[in-house]
Amino acid sequence: MSHLVAEMSAKALKLGIPLSVQLDLTYRCNERCVHCYLDHEDHGEMTTSEIKDLLDQLAEAGVFFLTLSGGEILMRRDFFEIVEYARMRAFCVKLKTNAVLIREKEAKRLRDLDVESIQISIYSHRPEVHDAITKMPGSLRRSINAIRFLRSKGLHVTIANVLMLQNLQDYPGVRALGAELGVEVTIDPTITPKMDGDRSLLDLNIDQAALEHVFREEGMLENVGESCAPPVGPDDEVLNSLPCSAGHTACYVSPYGDVYPCVQFPLPSGNVRRDKFLDIWRHSPQLNEVRSITTRDLTGCSHCSNVSSCTRCPGLAYMEGNMRGPSTQDCEKSFARTGIQSVNLKSKRSSVAGLVQIQNVAAISQAVSA
Amino acid sequence: MSEKCYVARSSKIAARMMGDEMMIMLAPESTLFTLNEVASVIFKAADGATPLDEIVAERVCSEFDVEFEAALKDAEHMVKELAGHGVLIVSDKPTTQSRAFAQVAR
Amino acid sequence: MASLTTVSAAADVVIDIGGFPIGLSTDDPAFVEMLKERYAGFVTSGTHAQIEFDVVLAPADSMLGNGDVRVEREAGQWSMGRGDFEADWNPGAARGVIRQSANPYSLNSVLRIVHTLLLAEQGGFLVHASSAVRNGRAFLFAGVSGAGKTTMARLAPPDATLLTDEISYVSRQEDGYHAYGTPFAGDLGRLGENMRAPLAALYLLTKGTENKVEPVSASEASRALLENILCFAQDSEVVRSIFEAACDFVCRVPIRRLTFAPDARVWEMIS
Repeated sequence: MSHLVAEMSAKALKLGIPLSVQLDLTYRCNERCVHCYLDHEDHGEMTTSEIKDLLDQLAEAGVFFLTLSGGEILMRRDFFEIVEYARMRAFCVKLKTNAVLIREKEAKRLRDLDVESIQISIYSHRPEVHDAITKMPGSLRRSINAIRFLRSKGLHVTIANVLMLQNLQDYPGVRALGAELGVEVTIDPTITPKMDGDRSLLDLNIDQAALEHVFREEGMLENVGESCAPPVGPDDEVLNSLPCSAGHTACYVSPYGDVYPCVQFPLPSGNVRRDKFLDIWRHSPQLNEVRSITTRDLTGCSHCSNVSSCTRCPGLAYMEGNMRGPSTQDCEKSFARTGIQSVNLKSKRSSVAGLVQIQNVAAISQAVSA
Repeated sequence: MSEKCYVARSSKIAARMMGDEMMIMLAPESTLFTLNEVASVIFKAADGATPLDEIVAERVCSEFDVEFEAALKDAEHMVKELAGHGVLIVSDKPTTQSRAFAQVAR
Repeated sequence: MASLTTVSAAADVVIDIGGFPIGLSTDDPAFVEMLKERYAGFVTSGTHAQIEFDVVLAPADSMLGNGDVRVEREAGQWSMGRGDFEADWNPGAARGVIRQSANPYSLNSVLRIVHTLLLAEQGGFLVHASSAVRNGRAFLFAGVSGAGKTTMARLAPPDATLLTDEISYVSRQEDGYHAYGTPFAGDLGRLGENMRAPLAALYLLTKGTENKVEPVSASEASRALLENILCFAQDSEVVRSIFEAACDFVCRVPIRRLTFAPDARVWEMIS
C-alpha cells in the first residue's frame, strides 16, 4: 500500500496538485504547552461559512488528505459541523488534538464520520510530567481516557511524543503506554521556534548526546540500519531532488486564511480571504520560489555527505534566516544518526571552538517532578 | 446478474479524482485504492438509484469504444471486488443514503 | 465591436497608478469585478486611459508555470511573457493584448512590467521598498524579502499614510522625485493610499538589536539601490535608463542605512 501512496504522490507532483493540506481551525487552546510555537489569542478566525467555502475550493483543487489541527480543534463550536462537511466533500480527514475534550459521545460521533486517524500528543506516562508541560492538571488522565474511547470505537489513533528536556527520560514509558493502549507512538525530537520569530523555545531542545541515544536505540526507528548507516555522498539524483513536499504537493492554511508552504515554514504566500486558493497555489510568487529550490541550490547542504539521508526541514531553515541555508536542528539530527558532521555544522563549530556545554539532564527532570 | 443491480458508494470512503484516476481511501483500515478512467466513471455514477446496466450503457459505452456485454461483465467484476472491500454497496433495490456522504467533487 | 478606426468602447476597468491610467477590457464580467475589488482605490471610471489592453482569458489550467520573465522590444513593439501570461504592447497605438488565465497574479505582474517601462522613460523606477507619507513627505524603506519592509509598514504610527508595503513607485517630476501609492501589496495584504508626496529619504533596511540611522557612501547607496530596483527588461535602452535614474536619484535624495529592532520606536527617527 505504501508503494501506491508513493505512486500517487509522484503523480500529484507531476500534475502540480496539492494532495495534502493542513488546515488549522484555531490557535486557541485549552492547554498551554511550554514548547508551543503559537499565539493563542483569537485575532479573527475564519467563520464556519468561510471554512466551508475553503473546503469547497480545496476539493476542487484536488486536495485529498485534509489534516485538521490548531490550537485545539475541539475548542471550535462548529468543529463537528466542519468535519461533517469535510467528509461530505469526501476528504480523507486526519485530526490532531490533545483529546482532552473527547469523551464517549465525541468518540462515537468521530466514528460515525469515519475520520481516517486521530493523532494525540502525550508527553509522558507520568501525569506530573505531562501535566507540567501542558500546564493543565488532569490532562494526561483525560487524554488517555479519550484514547480508550476512540479505540473502543475502532478508530485509528496514534500518539505523538515530542521530546524536550523535561520529558526526555520518559519516552520508554510513553512507548509502553502506547503498547498497552494498542496505539502507535511516534517520537519527535524537534522543538519548533515560535511563529513570530522568537527562538527562545529552542532552549528546550534535548542535547546532542540524548539525541544520539534516541536515534540509536533499537526499536525506536523502523529500519535502524537504513537510518543510521553512513550516507551516500551528494550525487546528481540527490542534488536534483526536492527537499520535501511543502509547496510541491502539500501546503498549510492558518485560522486566519494565511497560506504557508507548511505549518513549520511560515512564509506568507497568500491569504484565502483575499484570493482563491487555487490561484494562490498556482501563481503565488512565494510558493513558486519555494518550488524552484532543489537540493543543488542549498548553500552548504549541496556539498554535505549527509545530504542523501538528511531530514532537512526547509521551514526550520527559513526560520533560521535562509530558506536555502542550513537547518541546524537537522544537522544535529543527522550527526546523531550517522556520526558524521554536516558541512554546516563543521563551519558553525569552528566559529565557536572552545565552548563546552554540559547538560545535567537528571537535575532538570528532578526539578520538574519537585 | 439477472435481476437489477444497484450500486452505491459507501459513506466510509474518502475519494478524489487525480487526472483521470480516482483515489479512494477506506477509513477503518486506511486502505488506498485507485480506479482507472472507466472504473472512475462507474464509481462516480454509483448513486444507489441507477442500475449498473444503465450506468454501463449510458456512461461507459457512450464515452468509450467498448461493447456493452464486455463492459458490463468488467463492471460487474469491478463492483464485486470493490463491494468485497466495502467501498461499494450492492443491492437489488435502489438505496438512498441518509446523508449525502461521499459526494465526489469532480 | 467598433471598427478599428473609430473610437473604441470604454474600457471595462481603468487602473490608475502613478498618474498613468491603464484600461483593461475583457469578456468575463467576474474577472472585471475581481479587478475592481482587488485594485479598489486605484480604479477610476470614465477616465481616458493612456493605454488600452484587451485581456483574453485562457482556461485556468492552460497557462501555468513560473520561471523568468521575458521582456523584449522589436521594431518598437514590446513583447513580454512568463509561463502564466503573454502580453504585447504597441506604445505608438497605445494598445495591447494580454493573454492569461483568470487569476489576479498574472495581471499584477503585467502592470508592474508596464509601469517599469513607462517610468524608465521619464527617469523613474519601481523599487522593492515599503513607503509611507509623514508630514507631507514620503519615506522609503528598501530591502529584499524578509528585510523588514512589511514590519516597518506595520509599525508605522497613525499619522503616517501607507503608500505600499512591497513595491514603491518612484516618479521623476520637474521639482524632484515623488513617491506614489500603489496597489502592490506584500504580506501586509493592504493596498496603499492612492496619493503621492515628494520624496524625503530612502532607508536601506538592516535588522539589528537597536534602532539607529547611519550615513552610507554614494557607491554603497547606488549598489544597494540597484539591487532593489525592479528591472525586467533585457532591452539595453531600458536598462541604461534605469541605471542612470538610479545614479541621479542617489545624488538628489538622501539615502541612509536604517538598523532597526522590530519595535515601533524606530519611527521616532523618521521625519
